[in-house]
Amino acid sequence: MNRESVSRPRWNFRKIAPRLVQYLVLGIVTIMVLVPIMILVFGALKTRGQYISHPYSIPLPPRWDNMTKILAQPAFWRMLRNSLFVMLASTIGVVFVCSLAAFVFSRMEFRAKGVVFNFFTLGLMFPINIAILPVYLVLRQLHLVDTLWGVIIIQIAFQLSGNIFILRGFFTAIPMELQDAAYIDGCTAFGFFWRILLPLARPALSAVAALTMIVSWNDFLVPLVVLNKDKLWTLPLGTMQFQGQYGSDLALISAFITLSAIPTIIFYLFAERQIVAGLTAGAVKG
Amino acid sequence: MQSLPAIPDVLKLKRGTGSPRRFQDNLTIVLFLLPAVLIFFVFVVYPIFQSMYYSLFNWKGLGPAVDFVGLENFKKILTDKPFLTAVRNGLSLIGFALILQLPLSLLLAVLVGRKLPGRVFFRTIFFMPYVFSEVISALVWLFLYNPDPERGFLNAILVLFPGGHAQLWLADTKLVVPAIFIALTWKYFGFHMLLFMTGLQNIPEEIEEAGRIDGANSFQNFFYITLPLLSGTIRTAVYLSILGSIQQFIMVWIMTKGGPVNASETLATYMYRFGFIRFQLGYGSAVAIYMFVICLIFSLIYQGLTRQPDHLSGL
Amino acid sequence: MSRKIYTILSLLLVAAFALSACGAKATQAPAQPAATEAPAQPAATEAPAQPAATEAMKPVTITWWHISTQDDQKAFLQSKADEYMSMHPNVTIEITVLENEAFKSKLATVMQSGEPPDIFHSWGGGVLNEYAKAGLLRNVNPELDADGGAWRNTFGAGALGVYAYQGTNYGVPNDMGAVGFWYNKELFAKAGIENTPTTWTELLDAVKKLKAANITPIAIGEGDKWPGHFWWGYLSTRICGGAVFGAATSGTGSFTEPCFVEAGAKLQELNALTPFQDGFLSAVYNDEGAAMGNGKAAMELMGQWAPVVEKDNSEDKNGIGDKLAWFPFPMVEGGAGGPADAYGGGGGFALGKNAPDEAVDFVKFLSSVDSQIAMAKLGMVLPVVKGAEAGLTDPFLLTVQKAAAAAPFFQLYLDQALPPAVGSVVNDNVQGILAGTVTPEQAAQAINDSAVQEMK
Repeated sequence: MNRESVSRPRWNFRKIAPRLVQYLVLGIVTIMVLVPIMILVFGALKTRGQYISHPYSIPLPPRWDNMTKILAQPAFWRMLRNSLFVMLASTIGVVFVCSLAAFVFSRMEFRAKGVVFNFFTLGLMFPINIAILPVYLVLRQLHLVDTLWGVIIIQIAFQLSGNIFILRGFFTAIPMELQDAAYIDGCTAFGFFWRILLPLARPALSAVAALTMIVSWNDFLVPLVVLNKDKLWTLPLGTMQFQGQYGSDLALISAFITLSAIPTIIFYLFAERQIVAGLTAGAVKG
Repeated sequence: MQSLPAIPDVLKLKRGTGSPRRFQDNLTIVLFLLPAVLIFFVFVVYPIFQSMYYSLFNWKGLGPAVDFVGLENFKKILTDKPFLTAVRNGLSLIGFALILQLPLSLLLAVLVGRKLPGRVFFRTIFFMPYVFSEVISALVWLFLYNPDPERGFLNAILVLFPGGHAQLWLADTKLVVPAIFIALTWKYFGFHMLLFMTGLQNIPEEIEEAGRIDGANSFQNFFYITLPLLSGTIRTAVYLSILGSIQQFIMVWIMTKGGPVNASETLATYMYRFGFIRFQLGYGSAVAIYMFVICLIFSLIYQGLTRQPDHLSGL
Repeated sequence: MSRKIYTILSLLLVAAFALSACGAKATQAPAQPAATEAPAQPAATEAPAQPAATEAMKPVTITWWHISTQDDQKAFLQSKADEYMSMHPNVTIEITVLENEAFKSKLATVMQSGEPPDIFHSWGGGVLNEYAKAGLLRNVNPELDADGGAWRNTFGAGALGVYAYQGTNYGVPNDMGAVGFWYNKELFAKAGIENTPTTWTELLDAVKKLKAANITPIAIGEGDKWPGHFWWGYLSTRICGGAVFGAATSGTGSFTEPCFVEAGAKLQELNALTPFQDGFLSAVYNDEGAAMGNGKAAMELMGQWAPVVEKDNSEDKNGIGDKLAWFPFPMVEGGAGGPADAYGGGGGFALGKNAPDEAVDFVKFLSSVDSQIAMAKLGMVLPVVKGAEAGLTDPFLLTVQKAAAAAPFFQLYLDQALPPAVGSVVNDNVQGILAGTVTPEQAAQAINDSAVQEMK
């Protein structure tokens, strides 16, 4: 304390200089992260002609022609609806199935528990990108190709391992005394799960839900492989089709991409805490 | 894990209430695990085994597989140049990720630090690309990499500098993998930074404080105190980025489709090409099996190295 | 009490999973799901119970996939469907418009799952044969031959044959033309090229002159691979001649014949002049169209649809207007092929195995002379129905149409004529030649290996 107050001016300088460097570096990185996004948004707010003559300038005043053109297409709204449906169904499925399993792994004892649990950890090693062809062949046998349910069930299946991990971690952290007390009061295992554990684990469940929503909303590979009919397409799939079709009209495509990104950004800003909690729990805590 | 000692007590307690309770518990276990096990088995485990079967056939997917070829597919894959390119590219991406992407993320996490004013702002911005879909990210970078300076922003910047030449980026067989890596870094560094930030947060401030009092400067403090304490997080990040590099698909497929001339092929694009473009499903299945095996070997090595029987616990 | 809830919930849980699994299977049990499904409401309507339809006006749904994504063409095809539906109130036509690249992979996927659309775009040839062999297509011979072959006789025989496998037609043509050079007259003049090249050497000279005048000689979207295969295919047509080429594609000959290697060598020779736009290896076909439509490249080797795509991808949506002209692929000195031999093809309508009679009737309606004239006027097709040439106002399109119709030897696009796996090997290897990573010998060998395996 004393020393610090004596040498304050020197300390201040030595404190400020690294701070400046810190902000400088972070500022540069911020710009590099934002520039691609800005160019996209700028492009979305220009007409085709403006885009060609001034591809990178700030659109002043912004032109909403392309945006409204896309919003006027029923196909856009249909894709939005499909994406929403898949996202909700996947999320409900993941939260439901994973919390049941995580409960057993964190709170119940049985002989083969270790084996079964390790069996699920296998899933972490085989992400869907690797498994897509084998999975597609099975979907075909089950006649789930070209249905939204096919997409949903695969999304659930490949989200199981990670989320069971996360939830098991959270569930284990809930004090054992609560369970003992509940059992003494005559609660069954299910009663404890349903009436005590789940309400207590609400933050964990919302973290898992937020993560699943993002993964499902952004998923491209599974819909690409499973869905054929354009009526069933989700947004990422429709984005690619749109890009292929209007390949050279970059202003229009930028508008489409921007519009399809807006739900993600809104969701991100609202649920950032949950997303961060879920990710770090999955990777750091386990 | 901290709850382990309590379990025997509960069991005792439960057993005390008699066998109906135990039966009920067993029923709970079975019913609760059933959906997860069922889905997992049908859609994750079974497909692997079925692919092993199909990988022994020359099968185009129309009708049943009858043309048995034994291990022919596996042999052919190993001599196929694009496959070897895909393996090499996977290794390059892993190398880039470990040498550039992770240190960069760690540096940024340290820079943002514990209580820098504006911390949340930087975290929100840096993490944003991660929540964008891969389709959006890939298209954005596809535009940036357009070889025509009037359409591609990167070249527009390049030609501003004296002596700067427009690059072909994705059309250049030598530049394409680094170019893809830059796009991948843009998308994923925020995630790793987030991991490191959380890891740093878990290190008690007093420890670093103590180091400083003992006369360590910031660099010594970082290398001798912070880094070792962060090793668990670093291991996780390494694991995740290696797995991510091996299975990279969407960004690559959209930006280059593995081209030009297979220069940016990854294992996943290679499999997709045979499975869904050429519909050589037997051959594609064999590729899938190779990928499983590669991931398995890698995971085993990783577990061996870190001596963690269960690779995520305790990280 | 909680025990009861628990039991009920668990049972529900199990039941839900059991049911959802059964439900999914059950929807597939009806014999003709494609025709009865109304996919607008994906979840609820997967299994429409529809056992007792009224006898008189049985509602029929026809699914139709096409690739005419340009707005006016899309609107025209929609209007034809609407017209047909108003004439036949019981028929619903569901159109799926797919962009070219997406279409190819999506179609392959549905074919794999054994549920082809009722009507779909096709280029005929080996790809279609593959599906025919697997029993995925509907025989349209009865309709073609009805009334003494009234419908059959409206088509030119050559074009119809592209959609036939072993004498059975599984579809009909809609468009047939030859690949050739679309070029920018103004840029040619600027480079001092007076006559369009008639020999390979002259073509190389023209490229050199254009390079000297600082003009990009050739636009190509080689990221999509198929645009490049036109070069190798046409060179092979010119050098090998019909007999050798025909033997190779039918499996009696070989792609390792020296003339196929020479075709690759000629392509290498051209490539050494760096005639293509910057970044052509990752450019897609739309980029090629844009380069031509914006006057940034002097020529492209492309099919009859090129003018439409150029317009659509140009900045002002008008393309280069009357500066655009056409010349046929030049002769190659010493080649066995004749100057009038043509390499080309075009689109048509193929019919999936579940296609109802109404689908065939609708295709007949689409390939009527009136309809063909209207499509020709839009620049959408080079007509294949006799008498529809009247719709062709563009003199160059008329030339292209005649070049295809009068060719002594006509080679269908290799990537369509050969089985799909071989076609993609052709495309990959031509891209390899253009990238300098594959030698002409390696390319010919790889194509031959694949052909031997696929056509055995």
